[in-house]
Amino acid sequence: MAIQAKEIEQVDNTIVGESILINGKLEGDEDLTVRGRVEGAITLTKTLIVEPSGVVKANAAVRNAIISGVVVGNISASESVHLTREGRMVGDINSPRVIIVEGAAFRGRIDMGEVEEPRIQERTARPQSVAPARPAMVPVRPAPPPARPPAPPPRPPVVVRPAAPPKPVEVKPPAPPPPPPKPAAAEERAPMPTALAKRKVVVKRKK
Amino acid sequence: MANTVIGSSIIIDGEISGDEDLVIQGTVKGKISVKESLFVEGSGLVEADISTQNVEIAGKVTGNILATDKVELKTDCRVVGDIKAPRILIADGASFKGNVDMDVER
Repeated sequence: MAIQAKEIEQVDNTIVGESILINGKLEGDEDLTVRGRVEGAITLTKTLIVEPSGVVKANAAVRNAIISGVVVGNISASESVHLTREGRMVGDINSPRVIIVEGAAFRGRIDMGEVEEPRIQERTARPQSVAPARPAMVPVRPAPPPARPPAPPPRPPVVVRPAAPPKPVEVKPPAPPPPPPKPAAAEERAPMPTALAKRKVVVKRKK
Repeated sequence: MANTVIGSSIIIDGEISGDEDLVIQGTVKGKISVKESLFVEGSGLVEADISTQNVEIAGKVTGNILATDKVELKTDCRVVGDIKAPRILIADGASFKGNVDMDVER
């Protein structure tokens, strides 16, 4: 046995075996692979890997987390949290990058920090197809014509974009034919919309 | 053979229990209870009571040790605490302070 111990010299990775239970506070500057059970609190400056047999009932503050086992507790990662297909998590995730793979189970909140609201300014790559018929999402727009199905149809995507930041405004009412041609001309459409629908103009100004 | 390795920069404050070998290269404070063998490596620092089958210590241990089979203190280790085990091996160069009881009735 003495020889075996020596072989395990410089391990850059801590492994908690399947039948091990650690109850308490765990801190470290290296990767941690959990195949057993850890309860309490975990603080790492590197990666936490929970394998399928691992159970973590702790709040974790780590850099990265790759979860293929069970985690009950909040995870605060400074880089990313990756929930794989066998991962099961109940708790909050606080991380700028979150990856949840199909098959994972998760219940809790996700906070990715500052999330910019999607703006519809860019008309370039925004084909109409993007917005499913969302007629009354307009409430965002201070402008009046919130539930004005007729108005949008002529030019939902174009006009709306500059006026209303949120995507929903991109309303694509049920009138498919009108939109298609519009997008083409949408690019330079500045003047056109005004002519066609006064409302749009108003909206624009509101912006 | 050991499946569980506590790396050198890990600090655990709490209890560890398990059914497999445990290698400690980091710091553990609290209680350790393992059914198989425990290896405290040179970089390991244990401030805990240990209850296990076999122990091999090459690092620093402060706490009582209870082993059902054997305790081995290797060169350059420092152990402060009582040892209760049927077999004890203290190598030349080891440093130990405490009681030794080899009459373990478990």
